Amino acid sequence: MRWRRRPPSPLPADPDCHQVAEVLQSYLDGELEPGDTGAVAAHLEHCERCGIEAETVTRVIEAIRRQRPPLDPDGIERLAGFVDGLTGAEGD
Amino acid sequence: MVHDEEVAVSASVIDVAADPHAEQFREQVLAELDVLARVARRLTRDHHAAEDLVQETLLRAYRGHARFDGRHPRAWLLTILRNTHLNQVRKRRPDLLEDELAQRLPARGSEGGTEGAAEQALRDQLDPVVRDALAMLSANHRAVIALVDLDGLTYQEAADLLEVPVGTVMSRLHRARHKVRTRLEAHGKVEERP
Repeated sequence: MRWRRRPPSPLPADPDCHQVAEVLQSYLDGELEPGDTGAVAAHLEHCERCGIEAETVTRVIEAIRRQRPPLDPDGIERLAGFVDGLTGAEGD
Repeated sequence: MVHDEEVAVSASVIDVAADPHAEQFREQVLAELDVLARVARRLTRDHHAAEDLVQETLLRAYRGHARFDGRHPRAWLLTILRNTHLNQVRKRRPDLLEDELAQRLPARGSEGGTEGAAEQALRDQLDPVVRDALAMLSANHRAVIALVDLDGLTYQEAADLLEVPVGTVMSRLHRARHKVRTRLEAHGKVEERP
């Protein structure tokens, strides 16, 4: 996975596979500028090799994110109540 | 019958509720409660301490809201959360040096905090290969995975919290995910690269 360096921005309108690989992590994390996002998306549409790599990296990221521990909904409710108390919004 | 005191309190509440500053604050922070709770739990590693930390953060944020420019509420709140946590640690451990305090910020576990039985049961169903892979990461790598992938922070927000350049976050994230991928490949969970 060669997606570690922050890419030179903006990417060319038609980036090559190497340029896409450099920014793939940022692309998948939603960290690219809109113009660069469009250029990478267009490349992934027509490049099978890069498309497969993007799918694989996405699966890795999703597997990690499934490890996200659940939040206690009662705790969030209490915090929201605390905000209401601070701002005088009780009973809204 | 409504007592005068009740009327006074009600009027006060209405005044505050109608205050656009209070309403703006409410909108800004309610959207970030989940992230604040997650990061607080990671910092404190305790549910109750995390809730106290978020409440103290919200109180400080509300008091300082007039000075907030309204841009990037999450980054603003995370900065207050981080500083509040450091102050709490400093009070408990006045002997800690500044660099030791900074070292306490990165997450030390992939999940952090104590878990209830229901949470533990859910986690037991999750992929043990990924869980083990995360457990084997260095503390620095685990911290960026935790903040970005588990807590949902942007690269910049994670960099600010860890006090490292954003490029360092990206580099650590790359290496950490690469290690997880390698382990998943070894167990046939994802296809190996050609």
